[in-house]
Amino acid sequence: MLNGNISSMEINLNRRSLLIWTFIVVVVILVYLGSFTFMEEPEFVEMIEGYPDMLTSGLGMSPEMFDDVNLYHGGLVLLYVLLLASIYAMMLAGGLVTRDVDLGTVEFLYTRPFPRNVILLSKVFSFLVMMTLLWITAYLASIAIGLMWVAPGDFDVYDQFMAHLMGYLACLAAGGIAFAVSPLLNRVQGSTSLAIGLGFAFFLLNSLASMYEQLEFLKYLSIHYYADLTGAAGGEPFITGIIVMPVVFVAGIVIGTIFLNRKEFTA
Amino acid sequence: MNINLTLAENGMFLPLTQLFVYDGSFKNGWLVIVHRIFDCELLQLITMRGNYAVNAVETARLGKYYGKSRGIIDVSMAVRDGEIFGFIGPNGAGKTTTIRLLLGLIKPSSGEAKIFGRRVPLSGGKLYRRVGYVPAEISYYPEMTGRDLLEYAAGFYAVSNFQWVEELVDRLQLDPDKKVRTYSHGNLKKVGIIQALLHKPQLLILDEPGSGLDPLIRLEMFKIIEEMNQKGVTIFFSTHVLEEVERICHRVAMIKEGSLIHVGPVDQLPGRDIRLIILKFAGRKPSTVAMEKLGEVEELPSRPGYYQVLSHLPVNELVNYLSRFNLDYLRITDPSLEEIFFDLYEPSTGGGNNHYA
Repeated sequence: MLNGNISSMEINLNRRSLLIWTFIVVVVILVYLGSFTFMEEPEFVEMIEGYPDMLTSGLGMSPEMFDDVNLYHGGLVLLYVLLLASIYAMMLAGGLVTRDVDLGTVEFLYTRPFPRNVILLSKVFSFLVMMTLLWITAYLASIAIGLMWVAPGDFDVYDQFMAHLMGYLACLAAGGIAFAVSPLLNRVQGSTSLAIGLGFAFFLLNSLASMYEQLEFLKYLSIHYYADLTGAAGGEPFITGIIVMPVVFVAGIVIGTIFLNRKEFTA
Repeated sequence: MNINLTLAENGMFLPLTQLFVYDGSFKNGWLVIVHRIFDCELLQLITMRGNYAVNAVETARLGKYYGKSRGIIDVSMAVRDGEIFGFIGPNGAGKTTTIRLLLGLIKPSSGEAKIFGRRVPLSGGKLYRRVGYVPAEISYYPEMTGRDLLEYAAGFYAVSNFQWVEELVDRLQLDPDKKVRTYSHGNLKKVGIIQALLHKPQLLILDEPGSGLDPLIRLEMFKIIEEMNQKGVTIFFSTHVLEEVERICHRVAMIKEGSLIHVGPVDQLPGRDIRLIILKFAGRKPSTVAMEKLGEVEELPSRPGYYQVLSHLPVNELVNYLSRFNLDYLRITDPSLEEIFFDLYEPSTGGGNNHYA
């Protein structure tokens, strides 16, 4: 089902982008989580309370967040980490499939003695490894900054683990969507544009759903809703999300396999 | 498993599937057939040894359209096990489309393609363990070195002995430690050839393998191909260079505008008697009637005063005939494939018989 040769090569070929994105995520955690001590100042909380509810909920903020480092990190910091990581997940997954078509290496890889689904699954495995590495690093960075610097004693390791796990699952779902669509594309540029567009679309859909009651249904189209990072950081992970996100991931791979098996690699 | 047999002695094509239901295998010259009737009872075990050969490549009424654009039309041919089969045609004739169909990169609009008797699947598979392929346009991962890439390719076939790979690297004079992005077209081609040969395939599909290689390396490549063929490897060799075909191929298929127009031994290749003559007369150009026997003489648009003619005259007769004229310049060469095709086959006349075994 898998070809380790392909998986390890894909990890090798994408290690630089993984390092860059992991670095960005760690910097975001460092800057945002490190700012918690300033953000819990009464003046800042009063300022947030002065904003219209619609705006604060649209940006994923609530005054309680600035009292609780766990809610703050899960609901606000990880929200932006998820925005970035989901864009990277879709760029990575899309690039894993479209790069061979774009680069012209299809004739090198797809004439080997294994079916296309083995190639795709091997690439999916490398995607899983890289996403796991990114989120483990993000979790370790959060723990290190939260426990040792920002809020020793208050930072809940288990709840944060669940929040990071939900973020990880949301990225898998995003990757699954990219795996489903990318066999239809022939350019890395196309899959990158799709990743950026979808990443922001998920974020905006969830924001709009929070801002306007009439648009609440839009939340069902966003991975941010299913991840429910605030809920997970508050000790109440969204069980439906835990089920839906892996299902989307697997369904995306199945659809991607069907498309890839039917794809014609014209010159 | 379906096996179509070609009796090498008389070239008769024997599709066994039409005779009885069987399972069979072909190994070391022995054909083993478990002969069954009505697909139920084992009646007989037949073993044969002789001049039987499984066709390495076979296409039956193979066609490919890209929307309304023509790819190939109704191509039927068989490449016998162990032969070097040339596949020639001008650019855009359908050579690469045929090869992509054989490799399962695209699916046929009609007909079917088989490799070693097995229908080519679109999604690849174990069948390609026995196949090596050199594409016409080579692209690899730019951040890898040549050695990384060869090791990567070797990993697909669990090749552990790199002695053969090192030998190929030496013979083709490749520096494998440079990054792929720094390689010239010729060096990329060398990597392409080595990665296709490293697992010692039984069928080698080469799409314009000589392009981009300098003459000495090209000679070495042909030597390697001939050596592999002597060891029993079947070569399917696509090119638009006539000289390459004449040099190494046993049989040749010519394709034009998507249709096969000739399949046969290389010494029966149409157009082998044609010579391209470029000449300049010392005085006035003789009348058309005086040069009638030579062929249709045309002035070269880029070189006023110089004329070109494709002549079918035998060499001695040609030399005698040319000696009648007062010439300032004379060059006699082999014409390009395009020139032969243009001379022999008027554009868009299509191919007649498109089925060849």
